[in-house]
Amino acid sequence: MNGADSDPRARADVFAVDGEIGPDLARVDWSTSPLGTPETWPQSLQTAVRILLSSRFPMWMAWGPELTFFCNAAYRRSTLGRKYPWALGRPANQVWTEIWDDIGPRIDTVLRTGNATWDEALLLFLERSGYREETYHTFSYSPLRDDDGALVGMLCVVSEDTDRVIGERRMATLRDLGSDPSVVRTEQEMLAFASRQLGRNRWDLPFTLTYLFGDEGEARLAETTGVSDGHPAAPTTLSLTDAGAVWPVARLADGESVRVALDGPVFAGLPAGEWPDPPTEALLVPLRQQGGAPYGFLVAGLNRYRALDDGYRGFVELAAGHVATGIGSARSYQAQQRRAEELAELDRAKTAFFSNISHEFRTPLTLITGPVEELRGRLADADEQVREELDVIRRNGLRLGKLVNSLLDFSRIEAGRMQARYEPVDLAAVTVDLASVFRSAIERAGLTFEVDCPPLPEPVHIDRGMWEKVVLNLLSNALKFTFQGAVRVLLRAEAGQAVLRVEDTGIGVPPDEMPRLFERFHRIENARSRSDEGSGIGLALVKELVGLHSGSITATSVVGQGTAFTIRLPFGTAHLPADALATAGPDRVSVAAEPFVQEALRWLPADPATQTGPDDAPPAEGPVAPLVSGPAARVLVADDNADMREYLTRLLRSAGHLVEAVPDGQAALDAARTQTPDLVISDVMMPGLDGLQLVAALRTDPRTASTPVLLLSARAGQEASIEGLEAGADDYLVKPFAAAELLARVRANVELARLRNHHARWRTALIDSLQEAFFVCDEDGSVIEINTAFTDILGYGPEDLPYPPLPPWWPDPETEPEAHRQATEGFSVLLGQTQGSYTVPVTHRDGHRLWVAAAFSQVTDPDTGRQVIVGTFRDVTAEHYAVQRESALAAINVRLSQAEDLDDALHGVLAELRRLWRASTVLAAVFDDSPAPTVTATDPRLHWESLPEDRRRGLVEMRDTPLLTPVAARTDGAGIAVDHPHGTMAIWIDLGEKRPFTEQDQMLLALLAGQLGQGLHRVHQIDQQRETALALQRAILGPAQLPAGFAVRYSPAARPLKVGGDWYDTVELPDGRIGIVVGDCVGHGLRAATVMGQLRSACRALLLQDPSPAGTLMALDRFAALLPGAASATVFCGVLDPATGELRYASAGHPPAIVVHPDGTTQLLEAGRSRPLAVQPGRQRPEATTVVPARATLMLYTDGLVERRRQPLTTGIASATAAIQQGRGAPVESLASQVMEQLTPDGGYDDDVALLLYRHPGPLELDFPAESTHLATVRSALRGWLDRCGLEPANAYNVLVAAGEACANAIEHGHRDSPGGLIRLRAAATADALRLSVTDTGHWRIPDPPAGSHRGRGLVLMRALMDSITVIPGATGTTVDMQARIVR
Amino acid sequence: MTTALTLTTSSRPDGVRVLTAVGEIDMSNAASFATALGDAVTADGAPLVVDLTAVEYLDSAGLSVLFPHADRIALVASPLLEPLLTISGLADLTTVRGQ
Repeated sequence: MNGADSDPRARADVFAVDGEIGPDLARVDWSTSPLGTPETWPQSLQTAVRILLSSRFPMWMAWGPELTFFCNAAYRRSTLGRKYPWALGRPANQVWTEIWDDIGPRIDTVLRTGNATWDEALLLFLERSGYREETYHTFSYSPLRDDDGALVGMLCVVSEDTDRVIGERRMATLRDLGSDPSVVRTEQEMLAFASRQLGRNRWDLPFTLTYLFGDEGEARLAETTGVSDGHPAAPTTLSLTDAGAVWPVARLADGESVRVALDGPVFAGLPAGEWPDPPTEALLVPLRQQGGAPYGFLVAGLNRYRALDDGYRGFVELAAGHVATGIGSARSYQAQQRRAEELAELDRAKTAFFSNISHEFRTPLTLITGPVEELRGRLADADEQVREELDVIRRNGLRLGKLVNSLLDFSRIEAGRMQARYEPVDLAAVTVDLASVFRSAIERAGLTFEVDCPPLPEPVHIDRGMWEKVVLNLLSNALKFTFQGAVRVLLRAEAGQAVLRVEDTGIGVPPDEMPRLFERFHRIENARSRSDEGSGIGLALVKELVGLHSGSITATSVVGQGTAFTIRLPFGTAHLPADALATAGPDRVSVAAEPFVQEALRWLPADPATQTGPDDAPPAEGPVAPLVSGPAARVLVADDNADMREYLTRLLRSAGHLVEAVPDGQAALDAARTQTPDLVISDVMMPGLDGLQLVAALRTDPRTASTPVLLLSARAGQEASIEGLEAGADDYLVKPFAAAELLARVRANVELARLRNHHARWRTALIDSLQEAFFVCDEDGSVIEINTAFTDILGYGPEDLPYPPLPPWWPDPETEPEAHRQATEGFSVLLGQTQGSYTVPVTHRDGHRLWVAAAFSQVTDPDTGRQVIVGTFRDVTAEHYAVQRESALAAINVRLSQAEDLDDALHGVLAELRRLWRASTVLAAVFDDSPAPTVTATDPRLHWESLPEDRRRGLVEMRDTPLLTPVAARTDGAGIAVDHPHGTMAIWIDLGEKRPFTEQDQMLLALLAGQLGQGLHRVHQIDQQRETALALQRAILGPAQLPAGFAVRYSPAARPLKVGGDWYDTVELPDGRIGIVVGDCVGHGLRAATVMGQLRSACRALLLQDPSPAGTLMALDRFAALLPGAASATVFCGVLDPATGELRYASAGHPPAIVVHPDGTTQLLEAGRSRPLAVQPGRQRPEATTVVPARATLMLYTDGLVERRRQPLTTGIASATAAIQQGRGAPVESLASQVMEQLTPDGGYDDDVALLLYRHPGPLELDFPAESTHLATVRSALRGWLDRCGLEPANAYNVLVAAGEACANAIEHGHRDSPGGLIRLRAAATADALRLSVTDTGHWRIPDPPAGSHRGRGLVLMRALMDSITVIPGATGTTVDMQARIVR
Repeated sequence: MTTALTLTTSSRPDGVRVLTAVGEIDMSNAASFATALGDAVTADGAPLVVDLTAVEYLDSAGLSVLFPHADRIALVASPLLEPLLTISGLADLTTVRGQ
């Protein structure tokens, strides 16, 4: 019964399927396990092990009473860890003892109900890596059955999701950290927000502490998550110098990350987060500041159930990095805000200046310098003296302008309108910067310039503008009066003050001049200097400005040796008006430096170096020092005026920028798209694409949407600038503009853009670190942005962006129309709705099939204002195939369970395989004992002989491959060898087209084939049982020697085929009467057939002993009570007198017998009825008597004939009655067939049926020697029978004569040459006719006798007396067949 | 066993001779019947009455015995035999009386 038993190859290589696990499995001492040695394993276990080992999906299984553990190589690698190979062959509850509470009940359920389980991302604590580890698994437990179909184990297909689940969790935290919609906020708000986000991930961060370094060398607790206030591990302040502090502050301040074990009393009672137990370790990460000391540090309590691997460490550092960035952003935001306020203040001051003073000084000044410039131009060719004089006028004009500015400062100071903003600065850095402006001039003067400004311990609050004037005036002064030696700048902290000293080795100040040194407009007469120029207000202004800082300035001087000015500024802010304080802002453009330096340079002899061309590298002695910190900015200049283009190029290069200049808007757009610049400066008025259009074009392209644009225009006025800004420009400048202002704005915009880019980089990093693929589509569905996970999943990278609406990963409509349809449907959802999700097939760049679950939503792009679709998707290929696998297995199981037999099962499964793979054909060749393999195919025309030669060879080769190991051809299909009950079966799936049969497909095929093999064996077993039952049934029922006049039928139920239980019987009793029985036992199958056989035999014996129906049933009651399975059987038992038609009967709960009279009237034998057998043994049973009239038909049956779903029994009985009425003119044997056929429901009987018919009287059957002496006896018998048929005497006489003539004929002709032969007379009645036949064993032909002859008379008589005569000559004899209608 | 048949020849008071058959006539005893009939039919052509009233069965074998003498015999038969005699055409050749 079991094919594997006879296939030694199947046993031998059960472990050979896999070279990795197989040998270790083979080494297990199976003899001590409850499964026994592999040679003794049932076929179902071997199948399961083979499937397991050949699969590349992680799987394990448990089998038998102890749930013995098996696993495959993929599972070993992904999950089992150090438990391998120890786990093999052990009870599963030992292998997974730590999670048995979780998985044990699931396995119990599977084994109890046979239903598969499905768990997605279930948390399990495994101990496979030496510690209790947080893991997540998606798995399904499917039942495994043994050869008898009983549940004996389970198969687990598992994929580990740990990395995904944990990665998503961490990513969510990082995403949330970066998701705050309000970009700007204070540091405090930022910290609180970040803390809320960190506090939501209590898995990876059971607790966190955020410390910020203060000004006093201490670390201050800013935020906590998880930890309650006042916990000893979370002190509010920590000293940098305290070696015994809870946390190693000093190392963190140095920018080092530290891993700290949490042991010791201080760490007792720390929170456990989402876990059973608190962390054992914490990771401390500094909050790093770009180019500065850390802002503070983050203490992260670590999940003790995960190792601190690179991923975990990276997560904590990214989180800390985000907090640090947030602090930086918050601080720089505040600085920017302050700068905006300052600009407003500057505007107010400007306004005041022009309205109040400019008319007084500047108008005449302009009227001097303007004409001078004109004159210089016109007199360029004039003689030397004229030009020199003009230069004098010009220089003095400039001097006057500077003087006016200083005067303005004074007037503002005096009017109390000097709006100072004191901000904490690194005074050393600021001072060094300012000093460097003068370096070239001083060094060109042949002097040594020493700048000694070590960083101060703390910032100094100054007004940068004022400080610049202070320093520049002092340096200008020093240069002016020093002819040899050095100029020195020193900065120190002394006694709580910042002390700046500017020393020179100049001419010195006579002692008598010292008191008036700082007096306004005081000049030392006749002093030797580099220039006569001098207003005498420089040092006065310095003193005023220092005074505004609550500082002091003193001077010491020795004539001929030099002068030293000392400025002292207090630290802190107590000395300054509170409303003028500001926080630190970014370095600003030093606009004030230029006039000082220009003026100073004019004191010095001309130098060719000052004439350096604009394309030179940024010159140290350039008019403006490099102003942009960090890497050089790339600036794109667009102007149609070549001079302006050159001027801008020169100016920007001199400031350290990398410049590309183009002549129009289109060229600018092309250049910007080729390489995105840091800043675009464009003229508004240009031919072709003008400045405004250029801005619009840049803004619509995602690559340049955020590039800052500075527009230049000759048009003044507010409307023009508004127009420019509305077009999307970031800044606007009206020509003519000061070089310094342009550079200042360039610098500001580049820095702003870099800040913005920092966000963009953060966003990119965040998106790229998503484990889900991320994409952005524009309105028409083109993909315009993707992340790295997208590339990882699909193989398509950002280099080919944008991808069209039908991208290359779309399934090909030609070769994969179904997949293409599904993908297109999903895509239309994407375009038609604002958000949603769908699962679609896509194709990886290398061609393999993926399934992805995508989610998307429509959002508005903040940069362009356009609708875009932002989506993510996840690779759900494994899940998809798991579902497909389950449903395919279910479909196969349905086919197997519905099959009526082996052939049907195989047909059904092959059809299912064909549907599943949309194959052109699927065929199976069974290599059984017959000469040619038996081929079953979805195409019924296929036979072994009609297959192409190479296909036949392929099948034979496949037969010899290991069982259940798929063999895939390159393109056109795949096959597998399966154990069939009749021999090895090779299945071939012909895809019929060039289409890959993937590994997933092979895996599925192996599973299905395993199921098929087991299913076929099961069907085969059931087949055999059924055949046995049917054979037994038929053996018990017949072939019975039926008395004449009876016809019987037995039919098993068709679907599902059920045999056994119903019976019929006739018993010829000694007195000539006939016992008739029809019965129905409860149940089906072999058991019911056995019970039926015993009841039938008992009933026979009882009837022979006592021909009383009621008595028989009562005795049967007692018998059935003792026979298991016999109770509640129903029986109709009757005793018929064939001579008279008298019928005594009794019924044990059986449907009533039916009598149909020759005229069609009917009668139900409902009397004599009582309970089924053995229901109340010992009680009396009633009995009834009736007479079956001549030519009436009696029918006994079981309920299968008449019982129909949703129909009362009476309906069925009426149908059966009608069938007999219709057929009452037919011979009883053919009537039986008619009835069975006519009452068959669609799809066959669903219960088995026994039927017994009797037509009264039974036919007459006589065999007699062909001698005339026997004729009288024959006639006598015939006469009696005709009488029982109820014929009128005249009628009967006619029949008698005709029969006599036929017999005489037979004697005379049939046996003339062979005396002693036998003649056979048969006569049977139907309701309205008689049929007689006379057969001899001789050979004669109907003569054509003369009518007057003896013989001729006989024939004439026969023809005249009967309704039809047929003579049928035959090789072994001649039959005369006669029929006569019965006249009523 | 041969078919039961009793044949008796007698003369009625009016001198007409009567052959009375009782039983059944078939091919097994048609010869006896023929002999008896032949004996009863005299050469002088005097009429003979064949009384078949008590014949329960008569088939073509018996009819064949009767036909050659049809012009000299008169038949007496029960209604049972009448259709047979009519069908065979014998009734057309001779006188048939019922009882």
